[in-house]
Amino acid sequence: MGEVAKLLADHGPAFGQALLLTWKLTALSFVPGVLLGLGVAMLRLFPLPPLRWVLTLYVETFRNIPSVALLIFIVFALPDLEFVIDYEPSVVLTLVLVCSAFTADYVRSGINTIPGGQIEAALSLGMRPARIIWSVVLPQALRSVVQPMTSLLIALMLSTSLASQVPFPGRELTTLVSKIATDSAAGMAAFAVAAAMYVATGLLIAWAGAALDRKLRILR
Amino acid sequence: MNRSLEDILFGAPTPRARTLSRGMSVVAAGVLLLLAAGIVWRFHAAGQLDARYWKFFAWPTTWAFLAKGLLGTLASAAMAAVIALSLGLVLLAGRLARTRLVRWPAVAAIEFLRGTPTLLLIYVCFLVLPSVGVKLGTYWMLTLPIGLSTAAVVAEVYRSGVLAVPRGQADAARSLGMTEIQVFFSIVFPQALRYIVPALVAQLVIVVKDTTFGYVVTYGELMQNARVLIANYHSLVPVYLIVAALYCLVNYAISRASRRLGRPMH
Amino acid sequence: MPLSIHSFLKPTVAALAIAGGGAVCAQGTPIDAAAFDALVAQGPVASAEAVAASPWASKIRQAGTLRLGGTQTSNLFSLLNEKDGRLRGFDAGIAQLLTRYILGDASKVQFTQVNSSTREQVLINGQVDTVIATYSITPARAEKISFAGPYYTSQAGVLVKANNQAIQSYNDLGGRKVATQAGSTGPAILAQFAPKSTVQEFQTHQEALDSLRQGRVAAYVTDYTLLLNTLSLGTGDAKLAGAPFGAQDPYGIGLPKGSDGVAFVNAFLKKIEADGTWAKLWTIAIGQRTGSTAVPTPPALP
Repeated sequence: MGEVAKLLADHGPAFGQALLLTWKLTALSFVPGVLLGLGVAMLRLFPLPPLRWVLTLYVETFRNIPSVALLIFIVFALPDLEFVIDYEPSVVLTLVLVCSAFTADYVRSGINTIPGGQIEAALSLGMRPARIIWSVVLPQALRSVVQPMTSLLIALMLSTSLASQVPFPGRELTTLVSKIATDSAAGMAAFAVAAAMYVATGLLIAWAGAALDRKLRILR
Repeated sequence: MNRSLEDILFGAPTPRARTLSRGMSVVAAGVLLLLAAGIVWRFHAAGQLDARYWKFFAWPTTWAFLAKGLLGTLASAAMAAVIALSLGLVLLAGRLARTRLVRWPAVAAIEFLRGTPTLLLIYVCFLVLPSVGVKLGTYWMLTLPIGLSTAAVVAEVYRSGVLAVPRGQADAARSLGMTEIQVFFSIVFPQALRYIVPALVAQLVIVVKDTTFGYVVTYGELMQNARVLIANYHSLVPVYLIVAALYCLVNYAISRASRRLGRPMH
Repeated sequence: MPLSIHSFLKPTVAALAIAGGGAVCAQGTPIDAAAFDALVAQGPVASAEAVAASPWASKIRQAGTLRLGGTQTSNLFSLLNEKDGRLRGFDAGIAQLLTRYILGDASKVQFTQVNSSTREQVLINGQVDTVIATYSITPARAEKISFAGPYYTSQAGVLVKANNQAIQSYNDLGGRKVATQAGSTGPAILAQFAPKSTVQEFQTHQEALDSLRQGRVAAYVTDYTLLLNTLSLGTGDAKLAGAPFGAQDPYGIGLPKGSDGVAFVNAFLKKIEADGTWAKLWTIAIGQRTGSTAVPTPPALP
């Protein structure tokens, strides 16, 4: 415990900044990622084979690619194709792409829980498919995927540790721990503090997600 | 088997709708082809289609070299999966225990391992543990943290499967006089497994993805061999593209294998 | 001296490029593999008593392989040819000669790829027996591990794109983005000589080079010899801005802290420097490939 106290005395502000950076990266990637994933999921519904094929390719690619490989591709290979993206946007872009692929998948299974009878009823009422998607499918799909999306948010937060692999301006929690561990003997204490911060954030998100799920979920 | 929502939504179109969707398909295909052409043109404009950046892919030595890297990846992934699946079972047993003395440490362990990034655990094995005297081999510095991290998630997946098995099964087994262990391993767990195989396989894919952190502990796997090729031929885009495609293929194949087994939870 | 190397260099590379076809331009002159393999195969072998006198060497002898931490991606110092699986370069040569010295066979190496961030830790963790990877001897590192040697010295140099007129030397780096290798002496040198520059640290030489080529940074500051071999980046040429500067940077052989291997390896270095092997290795690995003919004298051993 004394070690932890000393560590916080030396590096307290750094840990605070690192935690804020972690949260910032998480939020910056989650919101666009979910919106993009929703868009992909909705577009996949349309009966246009080329569109569906390409979107399936998109989802399968970004679900299966290791985040490190994607980040390295964006940071080191894209510039050869004349796309030079700075480090922080590169990390965010990587997380957004991966998040969108998983979101698209979860939303699709959410869509599949909607009973077909509702759609048939809506069709018989004369509603257009676009209107059905917007008013019937989307709200129910969103309400039924709160739980996997919560897990995705937590996984995304943990994936921000990726930023330690490129010359990132500023240090998030994992980079900070590895620096402290390399430069001093306080590695164990640093790890304990960082782990506590990660776990606490994750538990908070999980608790909020569970509460949201209880309110929103549809019991069939 | 229910028809998918898309079929219901867009099934049985009027002739006018059919022509419309066929027309839109052609337009969509056209747009996508233009996009693909644009990408190819960009490659060409940046000089990335030059033969010297691709010609070494025609040599079997290149593929043999990449295969060696892939072997390193899979060797670590396989052992991490074994650790995850077996340790997950132990954590599950702790999680389902009646006594708080056993349950609370299990919950704490699961929340801790689930709640910290795998990369952080890898750094701990590499930088921190040796300073307190625990010196693992290079292979274990990568495999153990991945295995531990995944074990916690696997334990939760096991648990969701067990909870999905109807209670009546366990009750009936107990009324037949089976012991708790028999109830669990002969009746409950096999049924639970059939529900959760897709989720377990998804974890396997994550394990393979996590092995790309091998260079943090100096473990040789596919990404490292990609870097050697780049140092030899200065061909960043083609090599990284092919390696990324390899990872996607391997993981996709693993996911596909799961579709043969198991049924969904509902 | 360096300026004359430079003036030999461009015409040499150009001539070789015309002679050898386009491929040469992409990676500079490839190493003479046959000469390298031959040199390593006839290096000195230690006597049994010399090995027995050193616990570090005896352990390696018993294990049957030398666990080496090095790099596979450094063009001049240690590059892996994936076609025949052989490592070649100046550092690779020193490592293989050392292996032959202890074990009688230069190929009994178990290789681990390290980078600037992992070099000390793998020695502390006992993952490798020695690290030979353009490893500069600094007091900070000497607190964690021990160094044998030095076996080579160099200074820092500044690499910029060929069409860059703004940067003529390290004095012009203020306010610009400069790449360097993490964990190397680069950051300290930049802090001293170009404190107003924005430093970006990369894990490997290759990544830093790519960042220069791709325009992420305006200059790359690292060991001068490394830069000599990099005058052609593939899709855009580079040039050296100014003469080498800074203190003489000694490269050492990394060993676990307090290891008795230091004395053993120093004896080995003395041997290969005395019988001309060091000079021959320098010629094959560095001299022939950078157009320099004047073999430097190896640095004095403590």
